[in-house]
Amino acid sequence: MTAGNAEAASAASATLTVNGLSHWFIDPQSGSTVHALDDINLAIQPGEFITVVGPSGCGKTTLLKILAGFLKPLAGEARVHGSLITKPGRDRGVVFQELAILPWRTVRRNIGHGLEIQKVPKDVRAKKVAELTDLVGLRGFEDHYPHQLSGGMKQRVAVARTWASDPEIILMDEPFAAVDAMTRQTLQEELIRLTVETKKTVFFITHSVEEAVFLGDRVIALAARPGRVKASVQVPVPREGRTWETMTHDPSMAACVEEVLGLVRGEHEATLASESHANADAEQAQET
Amino acid sequence: MTAIPMPVLRTSPWSKVKKYALPIIPFFLLIGVWVSVIAIADPAIGILPRPLKVLQVPFQEDEYWPNVTASLGRLFIGFLVAAVTGVLAGIVAGLSRKFADFIGPLVTAMNAISGIAWIPLAIAWFGIGRGMVVFIVWNGAFFLIFANTVLGVRMVPEVLDRSLQTLGASRLHILRNVTFPGALPHVMSGLRSGLGFGWRAVIAAELVGATSGLGQWIFIAQEFARADIIVAGALTIGVIGLIMDRGLLAPLERRTIERWGLVESSA
Amino acid sequence: MTVTVSSSGSAAQSDIERQLVRDRGKEDRRGRIVGSLLAVAPFVMVVVIWWAIYTIFDPVPTKLVAPSKVVDAFFELIREGTLPAYITQSLGRLSIGVIIAIGVGVPLGWLLGLDKDVASSVEPMLRFFNAISGIAWLPLAIAWFGFTDRTITAVIIYTMIFPVIFNTMIGVRTVPTVLRDASRSLGSGWFRVIKDVYIPGSFPSVMTGLRLGIGFGWRALIAGEFIVGGGGLGFLIFNSRTAGLTERVMLGMIVLGAVWLLIDRLILRPIEEFTAARWGMVRL
Repeated sequence: MTAGNAEAASAASATLTVNGLSHWFIDPQSGSTVHALDDINLAIQPGEFITVVGPSGCGKTTLLKILAGFLKPLAGEARVHGSLITKPGRDRGVVFQELAILPWRTVRRNIGHGLEIQKVPKDVRAKKVAELTDLVGLRGFEDHYPHQLSGGMKQRVAVARTWASDPEIILMDEPFAAVDAMTRQTLQEELIRLTVETKKTVFFITHSVEEAVFLGDRVIALAARPGRVKASVQVPVPREGRTWETMTHDPSMAACVEEVLGLVRGEHEATLASESHANADAEQAQET
Repeated sequence: MTAIPMPVLRTSPWSKVKKYALPIIPFFLLIGVWVSVIAIADPAIGILPRPLKVLQVPFQEDEYWPNVTASLGRLFIGFLVAAVTGVLAGIVAGLSRKFADFIGPLVTAMNAISGIAWIPLAIAWFGIGRGMVVFIVWNGAFFLIFANTVLGVRMVPEVLDRSLQTLGASRLHILRNVTFPGALPHVMSGLRSGLGFGWRAVIAAELVGATSGLGQWIFIAQEFARADIIVAGALTIGVIGLIMDRGLLAPLERRTIERWGLVESSA
Repeated sequence: MTVTVSSSGSAAQSDIERQLVRDRGKEDRRGRIVGSLLAVAPFVMVVVIWWAIYTIFDPVPTKLVAPSKVVDAFFELIREGTLPAYITQSLGRLSIGVIIAIGVGVPLGWLLGLDKDVASSVEPMLRFFNAISGIAWLPLAIAWFGFTDRTITAVIIYTMIFPVIFNTMIGVRTVPTVLRDASRSLGSGWFRVIKDVYIPGSFPSVMTGLRLGIGFGWRALIAGEFIVGGGGLGFLIFNSRTAGLTERVMLGMIVLGAVWLLIDRLILRPIEEFTAARWGMVRL
């Protein structure tokens, strides 16, 4: 590790590393190959909040599935602290876009589920669950079933469940896409508070540039067809204490949003242009 | 299959009376027609019994209750075996897409050869009596329960499976906490229709292949021109069927499944 | 920075792609053949097990016969003309039941469904009689009509008509009131509203009721033919057992299942799917 090789040094200390990762699918209808990811290289430092933004079809969900261990990449590799990711593991918590909490468990039992699986003693579990219930603002709803909660509250349960098992890395796949705009802003502010407090390493996927800049330490813009890393943009304001009220008036944040928007929009136009040539079937299969 | 009742904004006393009085009217009409036919045509007891005579059957015929319990006992054993085997086999088959696809056409075919068609062969295998009736009940209910369970397992969202994998859950834990509860709505509807089919199968099997039971009793009654027993028996069969479905399985379905908000109220 | 940006996929990779595309094409053709073979496979398995049980246990012919004997019985009954005759007889009885159940049950269901009070008044009674299987009335039907075709027909009609009336009624009642109001606001009279809104609106539900009813009716028919006799597939199965001709019992069962699958797949499902799909309605 020489001083001149900053990248190697940072990769060595990184929590999560991705090297030369590529993946592609065969479209079941047309039989043509859909290139989802092409030679992705990333190094995510401990405690870093990375947001990944890109047009639909840029392979962001595929990337997350590989990091979670649900999908084996066809080329390249992903590692946590140097050990290869081959299957889902407790070191990586996932918050899904769909509501993935169990309808037949109460809020309390959903949040404590990971601890239950780890056979954490009941009293320890109860304490931890109570703590997290408070942290995500669900006190008083412990004995409700998911169908009695609003969309935003359900996603709070999912977040609390992931946090309860205390994974080092948290992977989030557009977790706030299904909630209304007002609730989303509240959830985003809460997520900042939660991640700063608990010092988690987060890999967060979104298609909203505002969300990406607001939440992240660093925003990675992906290009589509094939999915490539287009640029990595450092967000100029520290994450501590970011709120929507202050951020909308901060000119440096506005400039950052503009920059990322420029990258993604250029990509979006390129996508539209190529779509008019590309066949429609292949496009549908991209996100799967 | 039923309409969702409209919310009643203002309940007048009249609407309450209507709610309970309306369903009784058709039954009164029917009894009215029945009584008039007897008064006008005066048919023989073997053709049409008097309503009062039918009502007296459960209290005056010594054979009534033993036959009811004999039929219910056969239903219980056959259905219990069908429920256990059907749900277990259904979960195993549902877990493997390949196996479920492989077995699919066979299950459809077995469902098409209805339980009743097995009666003659079952008589040859088990002889006349309880074993044969239990087999027919099992046969009638098993394939329905099995097919519904497979469907239920296949319909559980994959994301629930995955979310537990990321929490480090074992295969068995996922089976107990995701697959089974997730499949439960379909399992319950399979059990409900399976029990209905099983009850019909008991009666059919007893008609030709038993020496006791409600089915056999009403069949013999016909030879002795005792239409009061036939009608009382048929009504009993209906009442028992309704009690089992509406009083036993429907509330069970509501209690577990609706609490989780998995399906809308359907009854 | 910690991110390296790399472009252009390697040449080796596009080779892999081409190979994958080629494999896929092969798989497609193979897939279709494999698919149709797979549908037959479980039945082959059953026949193998059946044959194995037969050879190992060597049962008495009243309990189990070799699969080949059933095939022999099939050709024998075809040659005799008995099998085609029995099939037409059973289907004929079912058709009479279907015609009467539609002719009486559907209009009755429409009438009952038009008025909310009438509908909620008769619903419990329909449920009650639906719960008494038609087979339970078989002894009474024998007392009334003797061991004749009329007995079988009566039991089939009883079994079929309740699901048909019930579902037709529910179909009419669940037609959204906004459709009725819209039609009224266009100046339709009651007759037109019934003709334009309620009857077509209830159709998918009518079809569901009919399919249910025919399924129950088919089973009632078999039971009726067991007891009353006089030809038909049920008679073939029941009578052959009494005569100890197990191969004919098993043949009858297989034909019974096959005929039902044909009725269901070729007639009932296409009609139901057609009506539901054409109006884009969800089945109840």
